[in-house]
Amino acid sequence: MTIIKNLLGGSLLVLGLLAQPLPAAEQRQPIHFADLTWESGSLITELLRLLVEKGYGYRTETLPGSTVSLEAALARDDVQVIGEEWAGRSPAWIKAEGEGKVFALGDTVKHATEGWWVPEYVIKGDPERGIPALAPDLRSVADLPRYKAVFSDPESPEKGRFLNSPTGWTSEIVNSQKLKAYGLTDSFVNFRTGSGAALDAEISSSIRRGKPVLFYYWSPTPLLGRYKLVQLEEPPFDAEAWKTLADARNPNPRGTRSMPARLTIGVSAPFRAEYPELVAFFEKVDLPIALLNSNLADMSEKRLPPRQVAERFLREQPAIWQAWVPADVAARVSGGL
Amino acid sequence: MFPQALHYSIADAVNRFVDWLVLYYGDAFREVSDHLLQLVAGIEGLLRLCPWWLLLALVGGLAWHASRSWRRAAVLVGLLFLIGVVGLWDKLLQTCSLVLVATLLSVLIGVPIGILLARKPLARRLLMPLLDVMQTLPSFVYLIPVLMLFGLGKVPAIFATLVYALPPLIRLTELGIRQVDVSVTEAAACLGANRWQSLRHVQLPLALPTIMAGLNQTVMMALSMVVVASMIGARGLGEDVLTGIQTLNVGLGVEAGLAIVALAVVIDRVTQGYGDPAQRDGRIR
Repeated sequence: MTIIKNLLGGSLLVLGLLAQPLPAAEQRQPIHFADLTWESGSLITELLRLLVEKGYGYRTETLPGSTVSLEAALARDDVQVIGEEWAGRSPAWIKAEGEGKVFALGDTVKHATEGWWVPEYVIKGDPERGIPALAPDLRSVADLPRYKAVFSDPESPEKGRFLNSPTGWTSEIVNSQKLKAYGLTDSFVNFRTGSGAALDAEISSSIRRGKPVLFYYWSPTPLLGRYKLVQLEEPPFDAEAWKTLADARNPNPRGTRSMPARLTIGVSAPFRAEYPELVAFFEKVDLPIALLNSNLADMSEKRLPPRQVAERFLREQPAIWQAWVPADVAARVSGGL
Repeated sequence: MFPQALHYSIADAVNRFVDWLVLYYGDAFREVSDHLLQLVAGIEGLLRLCPWWLLLALVGGLAWHASRSWRRAAVLVGLLFLIGVVGLWDKLLQTCSLVLVATLLSVLIGVPIGILLARKPLARRLLMPLLDVMQTLPSFVYLIPVLMLFGLGKVPAIFATLVYALPPLIRLTELGIRQVDVSVTEAAACLGANRWQSLRHVQLPLALPTIMAGLNQTVMMALSMVVVASMIGARGLGEDVLTGIQTLNVGLGVEAGLAIVALAVVIDRVTQGYGDPAQRDGRIR
């Protein structure tokens, strides 16, 4: 009994001591950036943080979280900046933007895209690695039913496997509707991958082993900079057809390419009011996608920390980022590197 | 700060090892994976073949047999019926077959290892830290390499479930066997029982309540891995929880979450019923 009493008493004492109020912070609060876990997100976040810290002299910090919880945190101003926001995609974002709690700034990466991809060796073969061309005439999504055996699904071998995006992403709905629109529901399994890590692991493992794989993917990403991939052709973009794809309940969707993505920097309303100079800078950010992809591929292949890649980018590509900020800020950044 | 001179990272070596494993043994692992997959698909097909009312009747019968209480059986059947009402019957079957295969494998692996640990102190000293690792290592750390080797879907999910859910069964089997009174085993030996007979007819029956408590814990932990399983492409109730979380659809998440809880309650009551002999004989209701 005494042991239990000691245990309870001890726990209570420790908790009591720890729960003392912290001395109030006198300084200005640091700017909280969302700690995005995917590669382009983390690289862009580190680029922005470096420029804000070295150029404008503000302290910054990051807070981790899932995309949806970070968007919710931005609306409450718990996080002030989300470095890569696919504006207008998630319902949580649209709601918060409608209420004026969050703002999407700039157009950070132009020509960002999403679609269905296969490795190049599936179409052309790879004599060096001894891989035959398994689907030589595969050009567009309409050719897929002919090649369902190539992408055979081990769980139901009579169908092909299409790796959809992780459960719960907006693109998962679009891809499921596209499968219907292209008449592929009978020949392909709509395989939801559950998480981005699982999707990446399956793709990299297949490519490393030289096996055919059909998957949804998007750019900017290291995967597109790293491997030779071919995007399957889809009908040209049509806004009306896109609406039928984005609506999960529409029974008769029509096929079209995905809506061109607009990548922005998401900021909270109080941040926008407090830091007008940073807002002006964020609106000018413009990263060329090919350069970004190659940096991402390098970062992922050599497993470099994003901050190191960001510093290198600032050193090597001054022409690009110096156009975003005033000359005095650019000089301070260059001096600080 | 920790001195820079003492920094040493094993990350690169581990990365190279995994790359090498995938490149040279990836296809062999996939074959093993396909065999296991057929087993799961077979059980799932069997469950799907049964009409829903037959499955409910079977669960009701099992619950009654375990506890001899009609009221309890009715409540448990009612819970499963409610899962069907909210439209999650198909996902329930998928989750069930996953948990079932994981549990069967756990018993096949866990009970013999538990017996071994109870008899060999050296094995116990060596394996106990490993069990700690299995229970605490964040699952995605070993899941991603497993995923690259075995492919997406149910097989890595079963693997992850095994790693996480096996330790309690091993620990409690070991505890149960060790707690059997020495005088009882000595008496059995005096009466001419050999080691196998003593284990089979004396130690295991006496340790059964503890082993069943371990099995119960294993099933509960297997169910708690359902959401992680859905993060690596295994379908089932976890998928709806994940969708609910990722799209802020709290209602959907709660529905699927409660369905997992209901399934857990059903399995818990049934296995506990079998683990508690007093309850089974009808002395306690």
